[in-house]
Amino acid sequence: MGYIAARGGTQAILNAELLVEYMRLHAASDPIGIDQIRDQMRAAVGRAMNEGALYAPNLAALALKQSEGDSIDASFLLRAYRSTLQRVMPTIPARGVDIRCQRRISASFKDIPGGQMLGPSTDYQIRMLNTLLMHESTADVQRILKEYDALIAQHADTDERAGYFPKVVDYMRAEQMVPFVRDDEGAEPFDITRTALTFPCSRSARLQSLAQADTGCLLTYAYSSVRGYGDAHPTLAELRFGALAIAVTHPLTGEPVCIGEIVVTECEIVSKAHSVAHNQERPYFQLGYGFTFGHSEVKAMSMGILDSVLSQAKRNGLSGESGPAANEEFVLLHSDGIEASGFTAHYKLPHYVTFEADLKVLERAVDHVESDALNPHAAHATTAKERL
Amino acid sequence: MRDSVTGILSRSPSTTVCALAAHALTMISDPSVVVLSGPKVAMVQLRIQESVADTVFNGGEVLVTETRLELNGVFGFGMVIGDQPEYATALAVLDALGRIDGPHRAYMTDAVADLARALTTKHQSEFAASNSTKVAFDTF
Repeated sequence: MGYIAARGGTQAILNAELLVEYMRLHAASDPIGIDQIRDQMRAAVGRAMNEGALYAPNLAALALKQSEGDSIDASFLLRAYRSTLQRVMPTIPARGVDIRCQRRISASFKDIPGGQMLGPSTDYQIRMLNTLLMHESTADVQRILKEYDALIAQHADTDERAGYFPKVVDYMRAEQMVPFVRDDEGAEPFDITRTALTFPCSRSARLQSLAQADTGCLLTYAYSSVRGYGDAHPTLAELRFGALAIAVTHPLTGEPVCIGEIVVTECEIVSKAHSVAHNQERPYFQLGYGFTFGHSEVKAMSMGILDSVLSQAKRNGLSGESGPAANEEFVLLHSDGIEASGFTAHYKLPHYVTFEADLKVLERAVDHVESDALNPHAAHATTAKERL
Repeated sequence: MRDSVTGILSRSPSTTVCALAAHALTMISDPSVVVLSGPKVAMVQLRIQESVADTVFNGGEVLVTETRLELNGVFGFGMVIGDQPEYATALAVLDALGRIDGPHRAYMTDAVADLARALTTKHQSEFAASNSTKVAFDTF
């Protein structure tokens, strides 16, 4: 059954759009500024950017304003805008070790080289509504800024390398806790924006797919594997949040050209050594990798858990046998929030012709059942005839 | 890379870098700028080399502004994250100026050194704040 186009309703559609604007503005509160969203709703901006797969804080803030805070709709707007832009070149591969850290923690080791910094975090607070924010004033803002300045004065550091740390996984490798594994994919990674995914897929395809996946979806799959529908036993080797300098290649000289910094979250997840890895000469912990734009720790960790689960499943030929999260095709094909929401939302659009066909099928089925009820011998005869 | 000239210029205040380019441009005789392309808003594909198996993957796109020009026949390339046309053009002018001999070179070197110091101070301040959250957990 093909789709049949419907037309008409132009004025109603335009009026409906006007009503959306009215709903946003009718209470006559001050319109929200893009800079306010960008600066004060960092989590939402980060989520829109990583799910929209476009690092553009101002546009992400605009998308959030336009979508009235709907994260999937905001990422959809960004992804759509992305399709109008020319991609001029790839960057030189950036590495997490070059993140200028504002936050860096490990749940695996108490003492890590360089130490742990909690950074901007509410992890250790009780989740209580802060009613003082109901009446936040300029004086409150000034007070916070003053306290911040005092903090800087108290903890001044003149080290020019301040903020750059070695990776915990490098220490674990040196101690032979995790394997030295090198990918043999080559320099050119798979690009899911140009080539459709096929399975089994390369690790670069998996990581790109997970990086732009819906946060809630990744969380659900990762949680399922941790909670019982799988065999993941993750521990956070390291999580870092901060600024990552990005460079491209100069078109004339071929030298690296730094083009600025982006804010990112990165983590490595370590999981228990599996006895089922019988083909290994030496048991090791397994690793998974997570990376997102913005400050998105739950997404980065979910990505790292899933990467670890999928790598182990693939290595041991157990794809799908260790819970749904170990099925790479299932996970990657259903975790893009924009595709999933678009497919679900399209059922709101006119399906009159296809549904008319469904109605006819229903009518025929009803007729069939009713005729069977009126003439049971004929029904049995038909059934017997069909059996032959 | 982050300590390079472009690493300093691309992470300094855009107004300062634009003023630096404008002033340096006045220091060469008969400057002739021909814009070859841009400033245009475009994307670069972010490549990440992850730390588990050194896999290089595409981590998403980054919105950038790019300008390509010729200054007195010398090619200049400027690119910066975000929609910042003046900033990108200033970087392209400075890139070209870096390959032209003249008194502006010494001025640019000094100016970049000043920017580097300011950037280091800014980063140290940011780190000082994070450093105040350094934690030593006890186990029991």
